[in-house]
Amino acid sequence: MDQNEKTLQNFENFRPQIESISKKGKITIAVLSLIILFGLYALYVQMVKGHIVTGMRDYVIWGLYIVNFIFFIGISYAGALISGILHLLRVQWRTPIIRMAETITVVSTLIGPCYILLCMGRLDRLHHLLLFGRIQSPIAWDVIAITTYLTGSIIFLYLASIRDLAFLRDHPLSVGKWRNPVYKFLAAGYHDTPKQKELLNQLIDLLSIVIIPLAILVHSVLAWIFGMTLRPGWHSTIFAPYFVVAAVYSGTGVLILVMWVFRKIYHLESYITKIHFTYLGILLMILGALYGYFTFSEYLTSWYGSVKWDMAVLYRLFDPTDYWWWFFFAAFIGVLLPIAIIAIPKFRNINSIAFASLIAVFALWIKRYLIIIPTLEAPLLPLHDLRPEYAHYSATWVEWALTVGGVATFFLLFYLFSKFIPIIPIVKIKSSEEMDYLKLRKLTTQRMLKRIMKQVRKDKKVVVVVLILLFVSAGHVGLTQEQLTPRLRLDFVNKSGIRLLNAKVTVKIEGKNTPVADLKVHYFLIGDKTKKPLGIDTTNGDGLTSFTLPADLGAPRSKEGAYTYMACVDSTKEYSGASAEVNIRDVFMLITFHQKDTIKQIMVEAREIGPKGDTLPVQDQKINFYVPRTFTSLKIGEATVVNGRATLDFPVTLPGDSIGNLPIVAKFEDNEAYGTAETNAVINWGKPLPPMQIIHRGLGDVNAPLWMVYTLIILLSLVWFHYMYAIFTVFRIRRLGKKFEALEKTGSGAIQ
Amino acid sequence: MTANENDRQSRRKFIKLGIGAGAGVIVGGGLLTAITRAGEAESGEKIKLLSPDGQLMEVDKSHCRSCPATGLEARQGIPNKKMVMVVDLARCRNARKCLDGCQKMHNLPPRIEWIKFFLLRDSEDTSPYWFPKPCFQCNNPPCVKVCPVGATFKRSDGIVLIDNDRCIGCKFCMAACPYSSRVFNWTDPNELREPKGTTYSPETSQPGKVGTVGKCDFCPDMVRIGKLPSCVSSCPNGVFFYGDKNEDVVTNGTDTVRFSELIQQRSAYRFMEELGTEPGVYYLPPVNRLFDYKVGFEDLSEEEIKLYKQEAHITE
Repeated sequence: MDQNEKTLQNFENFRPQIESISKKGKITIAVLSLIILFGLYALYVQMVKGHIVTGMRDYVIWGLYIVNFIFFIGISYAGALISGILHLLRVQWRTPIIRMAETITVVSTLIGPCYILLCMGRLDRLHHLLLFGRIQSPIAWDVIAITTYLTGSIIFLYLASIRDLAFLRDHPLSVGKWRNPVYKFLAAGYHDTPKQKELLNQLIDLLSIVIIPLAILVHSVLAWIFGMTLRPGWHSTIFAPYFVVAAVYSGTGVLILVMWVFRKIYHLESYITKIHFTYLGILLMILGALYGYFTFSEYLTSWYGSVKWDMAVLYRLFDPTDYWWWFFFAAFIGVLLPIAIIAIPKFRNINSIAFASLIAVFALWIKRYLIIIPTLEAPLLPLHDLRPEYAHYSATWVEWALTVGGVATFFLLFYLFSKFIPIIPIVKIKSSEEMDYLKLRKLTTQRMLKRIMKQVRKDKKVVVVVLILLFVSAGHVGLTQEQLTPRLRLDFVNKSGIRLLNAKVTVKIEGKNTPVADLKVHYFLIGDKTKKPLGIDTTNGDGLTSFTLPADLGAPRSKEGAYTYMACVDSTKEYSGASAEVNIRDVFMLITFHQKDTIKQIMVEAREIGPKGDTLPVQDQKINFYVPRTFTSLKIGEATVVNGRATLDFPVTLPGDSIGNLPIVAKFEDNEAYGTAETNAVINWGKPLPPMQIIHRGLGDVNAPLWMVYTLIILLSLVWFHYMYAIFTVFRIRRLGKKFEALEKTGSGAIQ
Repeated sequence: MTANENDRQSRRKFIKLGIGAGAGVIVGGGLLTAITRAGEAESGEKIKLLSPDGQLMEVDKSHCRSCPATGLEARQGIPNKKMVMVVDLARCRNARKCLDGCQKMHNLPPRIEWIKFFLLRDSEDTSPYWFPKPCFQCNNPPCVKVCPVGATFKRSDGIVLIDNDRCIGCKFCMAACPYSSRVFNWTDPNELREPKGTTYSPETSQPGKVGTVGKCDFCPDMVRIGKLPSCVSSCPNGVFFYGDKNEDVVTNGTDTVRFSELIQQRSAYRFMEELGTEPGVYYLPPVNRLFDYKVGFEDLSEEEIKLYKQEAHITE
């Protein structure tokens, strides 16, 4: 009876809070909405113009967005850890603050991930995370952890609110009646029957046990995004616990601030007393000391070790012209000042504790900035970029607008939520029951310009050259008919018996040999008195043409056994005529392989064709040996052909293909008598290639290592099983409630 | 059996193509033509390729340029290959022709640089040296590990590529790469130039996509047709040697040498080996240098020289 009166009185106290919005409240909503609209406009600008409107560039790839992301996920700890732990410890004074704490968790976990989305270059491909997700990536861990955490936080907040929702259902509001059916639905038929009470308390206990390790994991995973990279200032083993401690520190700070704000605007002085501020303040102080200890340990270790790259980051943090004053604020003021304010009883009052929290929260935001930006500005190789916006990060108005917009969203959501349900749990239960209930819980433009100018200058040069050429050639055509003299080079190539004539036409322009394209090259076979046309080919873009000789030329050889080939280009308007001749004797070659004990040798037999088709051994000619490879041929040696024979030791260390096959080419090169003549053979003396090793699982492969898969499955199923159980039990509570209502209607009031 | 046969078949084909292209380069003569070739529009031109057994093949040049693998094939890599690069620091004078060639070949706007140039100095008593840096194509790539969608991947031929059709632009790979090899398409990379081709291939990164990550790709499309990447062929000093480790041969276009001999005799090292990333790019130490490091300042602005001197702690 006494209990119900107290609850009713609470309700009367809170009725104005949820039934009306004061003038100040309306102004607040309007201002917050305006700020959010401004943020949305910034978002629109970023969507349309792309990420170029942010201060992020190739080196500082992440900026304010990531800072805000860590910050919001950090303050979400207020609910998860503080209310979870206070609930499990059955701390008496937690009652008035737990809903605020839990609401902080839900709201900030909703806002935080939005900042990650703002960093993504291709938001339109968000679904790729589902289609192609790789669980080796800390980002995948993060996505999984945060969704799980958010779900858990919402369930936790809901379970802890069921009693109040049931009360609100039983005491319908006269203003804003649309809420009444919502209360009825959400109350899930809760009538505080002994069975329902038991189930609900059990659920809240269960969820607070689940949410604590989950919260720790979420922030660890977040720290690992940075810790897993090989960057100075990030690649640290204590990063995960450091992030966790920093998060709880800032979470507690935000909780104190929110308490202070709502205490003011809703006049909750009788509910939130100095006790709450003092206790949370002491918690804040302890966490601050812990955070200071981690900070000290982290920077002392890297300073003492003095690895080059770590020092590069440290020097910047300690440089008064760089980040020192920010670092001083984040690591010294942000730790020592709150501790001093709270530790000295004389200074300890509600306002000073709130101020200490403000300092702590602000310092922690700065600290996150100092974790992200200086490290990205100090890559392992020098940050060589003349573009100032690449070398130094400075956030643009778009990023600031979205940052402020996020903070405004936080307050707006919080404020609106407080209009939906009392910000302090109103259903007071007997202190014996309270043990279970209430839970508590939970390079620069200049370099670019230079490049462009260079390009322009170059182009100008080209334009000038072309103009001059046009002018000159026009002059030539019109006046003197003077032509450019091309150079024609004729090469004879014998590739395993296929004889080719290769011609290349170039012309000297400004001292450079430039190939001439689309020029007709005529090939001839020159006899004693005859000039037999062989064929015509046109040069390609490289000034090259190639003509394959027929097997039988149908003409006699000279006395030396040679054929004389000629290539010529006719005189055109632009170019004068040119011709070239080569005098070539045909040669036959054969590669054989010989093995004596361990000595492996390549032998090439070469015979030239005499005037009457007879063959003679080649004498005293240099021959080269090659192994053809992907881009070019590797020369493995040379030898002199004596009596038609040359030998070379086989390069036994050369790898062949998968069965050891190795192609060998023997070649007379630019030989006066034979031109270029070559033949090839394949031998399986090469070192066989080991079969390709295909690794199926690993950090860098498509599939994750098995231990990782199992860990993830076990962790996730454990957590989600509890969520499922919680939802299932809520339905059970609902069924019990329906039974209760039916019984009540029939009049047999007393139940169980 | 058939798979093996296929391997052999395709391998033979590559050798043929390789020889042909090699012969083409030799006959074509010198680097000048190679440089000019990179900039040309390839339209319906035929190139004749000579196979070792004397068969003359005619391949359309433009067809060759547009035959990089797409889809699943692009993720697997060229069979039985393991591409490596050796950079001879003794020859580099910061001419940056490799970057020009790279940007031309990959159709990149001037602001996107896949090859970066550093003036490194290991300690105060040592001399500074120029250090051109492509992507290292690590064998234990930190970037590939962290990609949440598998948009960047390591292939069997040692090349690390990015599928810009899959990339969500989270930039985690850029944070993970200790060598700052990756760049982001902050704006549309095609705004200044017409994209080459219409079908996207991870082997060419063409057409470029806004909001995704890009980097040096070791030009697998060129490897497929047996041609050297543009950075290799456009370097006037032959700084870059490129080749297949399985063949134990690398070439800079003019010199063709045994990979193992080169890196052993010249004491090659891999940059920041201690990070455990196992780069696929080897550096030959800058001993017996062809150029004084100051030669590298020739084409630079005052401001850039100042920045380089500052980075290398040069006080003069």
